[in-house]
Amino acid sequence: MSDENAQLSPVAARSLLEDARRISDRAHNAVRWPYITFLLALGLTTSMGTLGMAMTEGNAFGLVYVATLAAFFASIIFFLITTQGSLAFAWSKRWAIYIGAWLVPYLFAIGVMCFAHGSLPLAALASGLVFFVTFTAAIVEAKR
Amino acid sequence: MTATDEHVHPRHRLFDVLQNPIRFSIAAALDKAEKLSFREVRDAIEVTDSALSKQVALLEQAGYLKVQKGFVGKMPRTTLALSAEGRTAWKAHLAALRDIAGD
Repeated sequence: MSDENAQLSPVAARSLLEDARRISDRAHNAVRWPYITFLLALGLTTSMGTLGMAMTEGNAFGLVYVATLAAFFASIIFFLITTQGSLAFAWSKRWAIYIGAWLVPYLFAIGVMCFAHGSLPLAALASGLVFFVTFTAAIVEAKR
Repeated sequence: MTATDEHVHPRHRLFDVLQNPIRFSIAAALDKAEKLSFREVRDAIEVTDSALSKQVALLEQAGYLKVQKGFVGKMPRTTLALSAEGRTAWKAHLAALRDIAGD
């Protein structure tokens, strides 16, 4: 124990605890936002894209398809640029679960688009699931 | 914990290595974020490179910090993370602070 410990008052201890919490949150938040943004962008892009493609035909379908692909690749590029050099969220089991959880309803939505084209209830359900899963993953990531 | 330990003032359970404000801040920054680059820690705790380097070396010597040096492309990058021992010490240090604060 050092001499300064002997003088540590309850008020000073509370202040140190508050400092620790603030610094910890700030460090975490500074490196976390690209991941949350990416999850939300992934969910929004793929859910709206699959819904749009399931409900359109011809030129409109082509437009939605191209827009979805463009938004999807923009999300990926944003993610790669903003996380470059960041180590806080290296690929982990948690991220494998997020992506797996997104992939299942996404494949379902693609199936709806291919085999039940024009069915609004099924398309809404599948695309809603895609967004729900990624939104939940973003909330989980934000609360960590 | 023995009966004697129960009556020891919590200030005796504080870790001297973590009493320094910069070392305290480094441990705090790495608590939730787990693994950060040198630059990210520097920005989070708002210190100069040299001040951070000095305290990082002391924490590493104490066995509280894992320091990895590598490259991203041609750029050198230093990665910081609390070691298992460091994380245990940090949690015990916070617990002692909470006891002193009366929480």
